Order: sequence, then C-alpha cells, then structure tokens
Amino acid sequence: MPGYILTFLVRSMNNRIRELRARFGLTQDELATRVGVRRETIVFLEKGKYNPSLKLAYDVARIFEMSIEEVFFPDNGKNPV
Amino acid sequence: MKKAIFVFIIAGLVIAAMLLWYFSGGFNVNWQEISMLAGLVLVISFAVILGVRRIRSIRNNQPAEDEMSKGVVKQAASTTFYISLYSWLALMFFSDKSEMETSTQMGIGIMLMAVEFALAWVYFNFFGKINE
Repeated sequence: MPGYILTFLVRSMNNRIRELRARFGLTQDELATRVGVRRETIVFLEKGKYNPSLKLAYDVARIFEMSIEEVFFPDNGKNPV
Repeated sequence: MKKAIFVFIIAGLVIAAMLLWYFSGGFNVNWQEISMLAGLVLVISFAVILGVRRIRSIRNNQPAEDEMSKGVVKQAASTTFYISLYSWLALMFFSDKSEMETSTQMGIGIMLMAVEFALAWVYFNFFGKINE
C-alpha cells in the first residue's frame, strides 16, 4: 500500500519498548524515571494504548540509543526493523 | 506533594461536613439523600485515589503529573462537558414533570457532572487514550 495512503490510515503506533527495555536491563520504573514520566505512561506505551508526544518519543529513543523510527512504527503489523 | 495533601484535606473536610449534616438531622434518610451521599462518596473516593497515585509517583522520583495523565484529564473533561449538555437537558425536561426544588435540581445536575467526569476519567485511564 502506498506510503501516503498509509499515513492517513494510521490510528495508533506500535513500539519495541518492552523488547528494548529487556535488552538494556531496565524496569518500567527505571525507564519512566529516566524519561521523566510516570510508570503508568510506560505501561500504556508498551500496550499501545497511548501514542507518545514527539518529545517523549525522542527521549525514549535516546535512552535506547536509537532513532525514533527504530523504536516506534505504525500499527500495520509490520516492524520495519 | 502539597497538592496531594491539599486534596486529602479537602476530602476530609467534605466527609466531616457530610457526617455533621447527617447526625444533626437525626439520620433520617430518603432516596434523594442516599443518592446524594452515593455521589459524594464516589467523588471523594476519586479524589483520594488521585491523591494516593500522586504521592506514589512522587515517592518513586517520578512526576506527579505527566503528558498522559494531563491528556486523560483533558479528554475526560471534554467528554464530560459533551455528555453533561444532554444530562442537563434531560434534567430540565424532568424538572417540569416533578415538584423538585430548583436548588435540589441544581445539586443533582452538578453531582451528575462530577459522576460523569469520574466515569470518563476511569474509562480513559483504563482503556487508554490514542492521540488522534
């Protein structure tokens, strides 16, 4: 499906936060403290129940030393990485 | 932390006023007072739960409020406003059919808005808020 059509169809974002958190040995509390949010926000991010702001997405990606696109991707079932 | 403590103080004052009101009236209750009491208990419980969450976050060196919690409150408030338009209309319709005093109707309307906000907040807090 063309990318420009996909852009209009994206309603939620998926992410690799849980996988990356395990790789870096971080708990939800630790990640939340590092990016300056509450633990519940990290829980909701991992479950895909909340789309982060650009700043939060950037802060989370910076913790994992990756780009935003490597951590967050559209919820179309395809992980681009 | 100060805001959370302030919430607990206000909740305590409301509970004290409620108990004083009931005991001074000889504890004669009817369905209207029971429904008002239920609404008050819901609102106070909501305030206490929020205060506990704030204190727990502060103790974990996390912010008491963040972008998601503020977004949930805003979404709940806007949903409550939308629903309350219809609930006030319904209340005005039923006020013509009943003999309730105006002050009682206003109290019911305000309590309804508080209950609607609490339910909306619970909904968005448990089912999430997708930014659209």
